[in-house]
Amino acid sequence: MKNISILPAAILILFISQSIFAQKIVRYDLYVRDTIVTFGDKPKHAIAVNGQIPMPTLTFTEGDIAEIYVHNELKESTSLHWHGLFLPNKEDGVPNLTQMPIEPNTTHKYTFPIIQHGTHWYHSHSGMQEQIGMYGNFIMLKKPTDPTFRKGIDDLPSVPIVLSEWTDANPDNVHRMLHNATDWFAIQKGTTQSYSEAIQQGHFKTKVNNEWKRMNAMDVSDVYYNKFLINGKNESQLSQFKGGDKVRLRISNGGASTYFWLNYAAGKITVVANDGNDVEPVEVDRLIVAVSETYDIVVTIPADKTAYEFLVTSEDRTKSASLYLGDGIKQLNSTLPKLKYFEGMKMMNDMMKMNGDLDDMGMSMSYNQMDMNVVMYPEITGEAKPKSDKMGVIKMTENDYNSNKLSDIVTLNYAMLKSPFKTNLPKDAPIRELKFELTGNMNRYVWSLDNKVVSETDKILIKKGENVRITIYNGSMMRHPMHLHGHDFRIINGQGDYAPLKNIIDIMPMETDVLEFNANVEGDWFFHCHILYHMMAGMGRVFTYENQAPNPLIPNPKLAQRKLFADDRKFHLMAENDFATNGNDGSAMYQNTRWSIGTEWRLGYNDMHGYEIETHIGRYIGKMQWLMPFIGFDWRYRKMEDNEMEKNLFNQTNTKDKRSVFSLGLEYTFPMLIKAQAEVFTDGNVRLQFERMDIPVSKRLRMNLMWNTDKEYMAGLRYIVKRNFGITTHYDSDMGIGFGVSLNY
Amino acid sequence: MKLISKIWVAITVLLSFTSCEAQIKNEKTETVKIYGNCGMCEKRIEKAGNINNIAKVDWDVDTKMATITYDSKKTNQDAILKSIALSGHDSDTFLAPNEAYSKLPSCCQYNRIAKVPVKVNTVASDTISANSKVDMTNHTTAENQLKAVFDNYFAVKDALVKTDGNTASAKATALLSAINAVKMETLKTEEHNVWMKVLKDTKEDAEHISGTKDAKHQRDHFDTLSKNIYELIKVSKQETPTYYQFCPMANNGKGANWLSKEDVVKNPYYGSMMLSCGKVTETIK
Repeated sequence: MKNISILPAAILILFISQSIFAQKIVRYDLYVRDTIVTFGDKPKHAIAVNGQIPMPTLTFTEGDIAEIYVHNELKESTSLHWHGLFLPNKEDGVPNLTQMPIEPNTTHKYTFPIIQHGTHWYHSHSGMQEQIGMYGNFIMLKKPTDPTFRKGIDDLPSVPIVLSEWTDANPDNVHRMLHNATDWFAIQKGTTQSYSEAIQQGHFKTKVNNEWKRMNAMDVSDVYYNKFLINGKNESQLSQFKGGDKVRLRISNGGASTYFWLNYAAGKITVVANDGNDVEPVEVDRLIVAVSETYDIVVTIPADKTAYEFLVTSEDRTKSASLYLGDGIKQLNSTLPKLKYFEGMKMMNDMMKMNGDLDDMGMSMSYNQMDMNVVMYPEITGEAKPKSDKMGVIKMTENDYNSNKLSDIVTLNYAMLKSPFKTNLPKDAPIRELKFELTGNMNRYVWSLDNKVVSETDKILIKKGENVRITIYNGSMMRHPMHLHGHDFRIINGQGDYAPLKNIIDIMPMETDVLEFNANVEGDWFFHCHILYHMMAGMGRVFTYENQAPNPLIPNPKLAQRKLFADDRKFHLMAENDFATNGNDGSAMYQNTRWSIGTEWRLGYNDMHGYEIETHIGRYIGKMQWLMPFIGFDWRYRKMEDNEMEKNLFNQTNTKDKRSVFSLGLEYTFPMLIKAQAEVFTDGNVRLQFERMDIPVSKRLRMNLMWNTDKEYMAGLRYIVKRNFGITTHYDSDMGIGFGVSLNY
Repeated sequence: MKLISKIWVAITVLLSFTSCEAQIKNEKTETVKIYGNCGMCEKRIEKAGNINNIAKVDWDVDTKMATITYDSKKTNQDAILKSIALSGHDSDTFLAPNEAYSKLPSCCQYNRIAKVPVKVNTVASDTISANSKVDMTNHTTAENQLKAVFDNYFAVKDALVKTDGNTASAKATALLSAINAVKMETLKTEEHNVWMKVLKDTKEDAEHISGTKDAKHQRDHFDTLSKNIYELIKVSKQETPTYYQFCPMANNGKGANWLSKEDVVKNPYYGSMMLSCGKVTETIK
């Protein structure tokens, strides 16, 4: 009896004690659905969560327990990654790595304790879903009793803001076009940098030099976007604020591939936190937010009856978005002046060695302090002066690229970030040193670490408890925002014990940055470039802990790994055909990171003109992928008068009548982007061919030239009318002159 | 030969695919006020607002009213007024960026004081409040009145760093009124002595800088002005340090000084051409 009466009492006590210590559970239900939106010029498919884009802002207080139910009502699988959060690996939301994808019409529950504070965000980690709406703010507030609570900052009214971009093109198609080195985006942006534009601006030599070094037109970003958005709107106003108010903006860059400049019409911007971690307040005129970074900034509204423009401009400066802070007449900020592309091209020429490596000319660069792009910023280095070349061969030094020394506009860089408290790692832990080079190849849109993509490498094993120090050098021509899942790292930026904590580091070309973190949570953690199209191309690695417990959400690790690797092993198709008066000319290419299957055809309209198909299967070699050995198959049929024979330059005869042969060959890209092919056929014939395609004559006019030792030659012009439609004329040694239209995919 | 002529025909055909002029569809017409002065303004306003086949702006110099016709499916009044404001012209919806306004030729710089509620007047109101306090208290306000002089000096310097003659002139006017507002009898003895010595020259330099919009002429006077302000700031205690800086190339190679609140060198004598020329020669605390 006595025992029985004690039991309920014990249970009661247990309950009470639990409710005292129990943390607050905060539950969100997210319904993921297909939708149609008109952010650009036309209604397009997008994904909305709870009926909205961006996804709803999720707010927690440090100490809460998050319970997030994801209801997938799409026709495809999805996932959600909690960007910058410390959580158990199985809640991290990377499909095929930390969990299996959330299948259509199923619900997945994410739950984890909130053990940090700050401005973060969340997004889909599946395919291209982040590009079409799956991004939102994730705010974790400090407890009011927190010893780090900063009066005058943490008690200000705050507004969560997520920046993003919109393209009317299907993002899968964007990805495919990037891999096919399309210049359609450049045409849309007006940045073709063709020969005629170069001549007009007195930069003919620059352009030739650029092609001599085997570079296509350079740009600061890859994709053309129709609109840029602040919380899903291009223009909006927060009229609840009045003169004298201070506002804290919690800004996340939810763009898939866009860096954003931030400017404020009423002057200075005070940066108070970065990547969710407090920093000592620092006052700047402007800052650039790398893809997936977050910044907390404080701005002041200086006057009543006036709304001040908070201007968000894409790095390529094609377009912008505005948020007006305050009520009344809108005080505008100047728009950022257009980039001086040919100055940038000249800078790239100077930095590029003939072998494709970058040459920092003895300057040591790190933490965004020097920005080579300043040569393109008119507000820092002055307006473009046509046809002046007075700088000549003066050797440039660090100061020539430090925008804060060149002008009185203060631009934030990582060296200015300082943590308010010491961030040293555990002292006696063993140190693990790792080194990476960021590598890439713009022409073929291959992005990698140490010239290897995710599927070509093993996971990197680290030990729990050790301090991992990573040195990263960017040897590619683009900047890359590298993101580490599940951990914050400190960047060795000269602030000593007070090095700032981040989970994204933007690394500019030729920079060397050092970061370090304590390995303290087991699991498979993705470390990757956060530009969506670079990540899908395989620019990343996976960190994994030695002897860790298996992840219960990955029942079949082999299958999961194969699915994960499928992303960067994907082949991309490109095809074009010219329907001309003298025949059909076309080609199709099916390529991935290393392999290329290509077919070219020339189909006449009668037997005299002949029919010809050449197929090559090759593998690209080296970092720059200039060399490609291949095997081929060649079939042709042509009726010749009087059974005449053709002779090639080597006096070998060639029956073009009917020929089907295999071949072995090499393709190499020479300076001026001339592709040379040397090919030996099974019938003993040898052929050497030189070809230069798509010479940018003017904004939309392209020229093609070809000649080979079979005494065949071709010259053609193509005027690009639309993305997949052009008007052509060409002269061909077999088929004569022709006019036509070309279609390309 | 025949071939070449054929190719040329083809090229001409290809290149002549420019669209013909068309009417604005879904037409909507509105009349709004846009601030400006003259015929030059008219050209600028209309150029900024016009978009081929989408929007047309017709501004009247006398009434300052613009007739805006646009395709209501493709754009709206705000978008058009925004691009006009970005060219430097206020409307009742948008205020032009200050840089855009100050880049306008002086004949186009319409009177916009009434349009900006508080911000632009802060300098003036500072000096007024400094004045009114002088009557009531002594030494603390004396610092304030000199502070207004220093602050306006730094504003002139910042304008010259940007080679912005218009702003430099405006700031020099404010400097002049700050100088006139100083009540000598409330200054400390050392300050008083220096003030007596430099007052006449300082005033003259400020007048010259305010009287022209030519940055070159302003810089000639800024040289001597800087020397006098330096004398003054040395005897006047300031809360934050001031840096006395020197560029050996300025003033035709004779060198020239200036004062700055930051130790980073931003040279006011050359603008963007030689911005970082110079060094800190003295830190005044």
